[in-house]
Amino acid sequence: MNYFFHLIIYFDIYAIVAMSLNLVVGYCGLLTLAHAGYFAVGSYVYALIALKLHAGFLPASAMAVAIASLLSFAVSLPAWRFKGDFFVMVSLAVQALIFGLCQNWVSSDAEPGTLRNLTNGTFGLSEIPKPDLFGWQLNDPSSIAIFATAIALICGVVSGVLLFSPWGRLLQVMRDDDLAARGVGKNTRLVKLQAFAIACGMVAIGGAIYAAYVGFIDPTLAALDQSILMLCMVLLGGVGNFRGPLVGTFVLLAIPELLKFATIPDGIAANIRLLLYGLLLVVMVHFRPQGLAGKYQVD
Amino acid sequence: MKTITRLEVNKVLGAVAKEREREILLQVYGLGKSFGGQIVLKDVSVSLRLGEVVLLLGSNGSGKTTFLNMLTGNLKPDVGEIHLSSGKKQQVFRFPSPWQQELNSWNHFTPERLAQEGIGRTWQEVRLFPSLSLLDNITAASPQQKGENPISALFQHSLIRKQEMRLQNEARLKLEDLGLQGRESSLANKISLGQSKRVAIARAIQAGAKILFLDEPLASLDRAGILEVVQWLKTLVREQQLTLVIVEHVLNIPHILDLVTKVWMLEQGELRVELPAMAQKYLAELQHNDIRNWLAKVSGGKISDRILAGGAVLSTVGEASVPLLEVEDLVVYRGKRLVVGEQHEDGTVTGISFTLYRGQVALLQAPNGWGKTSLLEALAGAIAPAQGKIRLSGRLVEKLPSWKRVKLGLSLLQSRDNIYPNLTVREALQLSHVRNIPEDVKPLLHKRMSDLSGGEKQRVILRCFQSRLSNVQLIDEPLSALDAVGVDSVLEILKPNTEKSCLIAVPSIIHTKES
Repeated sequence: MNYFFHLIIYFDIYAIVAMSLNLVVGYCGLLTLAHAGYFAVGSYVYALIALKLHAGFLPASAMAVAIASLLSFAVSLPAWRFKGDFFVMVSLAVQALIFGLCQNWVSSDAEPGTLRNLTNGTFGLSEIPKPDLFGWQLNDPSSIAIFATAIALICGVVSGVLLFSPWGRLLQVMRDDDLAARGVGKNTRLVKLQAFAIACGMVAIGGAIYAAYVGFIDPTLAALDQSILMLCMVLLGGVGNFRGPLVGTFVLLAIPELLKFATIPDGIAANIRLLLYGLLLVVMVHFRPQGLAGKYQVD
Repeated sequence: MKTITRLEVNKVLGAVAKEREREILLQVYGLGKSFGGQIVLKDVSVSLRLGEVVLLLGSNGSGKTTFLNMLTGNLKPDVGEIHLSSGKKQQVFRFPSPWQQELNSWNHFTPERLAQEGIGRTWQEVRLFPSLSLLDNITAASPQQKGENPISALFQHSLIRKQEMRLQNEARLKLEDLGLQGRESSLANKISLGQSKRVAIARAIQAGAKILFLDEPLASLDRAGILEVVQWLKTLVREQQLTLVIVEHVLNIPHILDLVTKVWMLEQGELRVELPAMAQKYLAELQHNDIRNWLAKVSGGKISDRILAGGAVLSTVGEASVPLLEVEDLVVYRGKRLVVGEQHEDGTVTGISFTLYRGQVALLQAPNGWGKTSLLEALAGAIAPAQGKIRLSGRLVEKLPSWKRVKLGLSLLQSRDNIYPNLTVREALQLSHVRNIPEDVKPLLHKRMSDLSGGEKQRVILRCFQSRLSNVQLIDEPLSALDAVGVDSVLEILKPNTEKSCLIAVPSIIHTKES
């Protein structure tokens, strides 16, 4: 039963990630590779505040959201001038920067979480407290699953309300034709800042739940393959509507679980999983470029 | 000699005084712009008053689009001042901009800033938002929407819903004014070019435009469409005191002349302000050359006309020899909408049929929304016909993909998206294997395709297109965005070829004007 709850928690975390990424990829039309970086920012900020200040889940994750939103300027400001492949390269640079910080903000003669050894480098941060809610400690997988599902639902509602509002329409207008949108008086620069701040803040919540559930984080959370996995989720499921990213999350999380039933040696299981992701993406791009349940085709 | 009475003098003086009383909305002083050392505009000073309708005239490449771009915030002038009084407060933009202004990103001379000050524009290419419905295209343009703030969108749901309903009703009324009732939920990329143009104007007005810059608003519209748009523009000018600056294709200028109150004439980078009578003189001086006259000229007057289903006219010149393109009972749908063919009362659908022989040139003149572009795309394999047969040099091709049809000798020149904007003219010609560079494009070789004027662009595109090894050529609206000189040079390129056949689709306005 715990395995089932574990799956639910992972689905919730990656559903939050996919919904947030859908905001920028599907609705702004900006393909970003920096999203895993912001997921890691959420994880690290939550872990450091929970470990050092012994703050509860809500204040620690609120701080994670605030910092990730603030750091989102690193991608949203370049988005004013760059688009297409150039923007992808800028987002890759931001991802490399965050990954580099997570990996290299380390000093062997200082305690983890101090200014000189903030991330503890490749050793990562361990013994991160489990989530708690108003003094109620959530230790077992079932309660964490309920908690994570509740947060994912809140993120879903927030995302849905925003996307079906005039603000969501403004994102589509900007994605369709930035210049024409500006020609009717829309401040697309401000909208880009808002969209990235909301998306990065939302993915930081996913990162905080991950850190609180797993209890250990290291720089691989911000690695490029994580960003690609996140992108695969939204591209496979489809972007530009609400259900596409959720479908993609479900499929990409189901693949490794199904592979567990096949008798594949552990040494090559991870590679086979990556191979399958790649294959699926190629097949999708060829036969259904808008994704399994998507509306908008990413160029 | 006619004597001018005191009454007439008073009338003229009264009109002049009335004109002067009108509020000035836009003033431009000493505006200049150059690209790579080539001066496009120099020392342009002009003013625009409330309710004026200005026709911006000039030959291809005279800087009309550059001037339009500068007045709408899409392009920064090198030097000069723009004083704008169309918003709540007077705004002054000085160029080159002081460095403090450059630092403040919210205070830039940008299209959105000028749009918020009441300056709207439409483009030659329509630029509607393709993934939105027509209703949303107009609603989205409304200014000061509370729901465009994400915090309000989350926490003021009922307030936003009320505002949204009000704005949608306004948008619905605008669509009705444009004759597009019942098409509210159609996607913007599923309507004809003419309809798109009308929606684009409505969108700019919904955005709060007090001065509207219209770049070829009548291009590609049929007679009914032109009348509707012109009538609507008249109403807007009369009832809402809208100020218009119009750049229009030479063939369409007569339709808007009675609306025009002033002419801005751009010549060699300098702008002169003239009376509307000057535009009439300008038109009279031009050789009256439309495509049907040209067809009559090249054929020695032997044109055979055929009426196709839905009211289109197919005018053909040349002898019937070897059939190259045979179309039989062709029916094309866009989604669920029948676009090529005719539905009868009993529900049956009749398609269109015609044959093009080697050496023939056919002119397809059809009303707006008839499905000219859809027909050409179906022939080229870009969309699948619902029924009918297409034979290319005797071979059935309706099931073949586009690239195979191209290999069999068919080529299509679309009216939109037909250039690689980042290539230079030299590269574009090389890409199309044009070996002998024509004299008329030699001066353009180093320019980027996106920097060319409408006429220059069309010339290069047609030169590239003509170099293709095809024997059946389909050309969609080759004369849009051209002035008289441009029309001449394009028709020169389109001369009949004894080895090829060519189908040219144009809006039926040219024919109806003749009749």
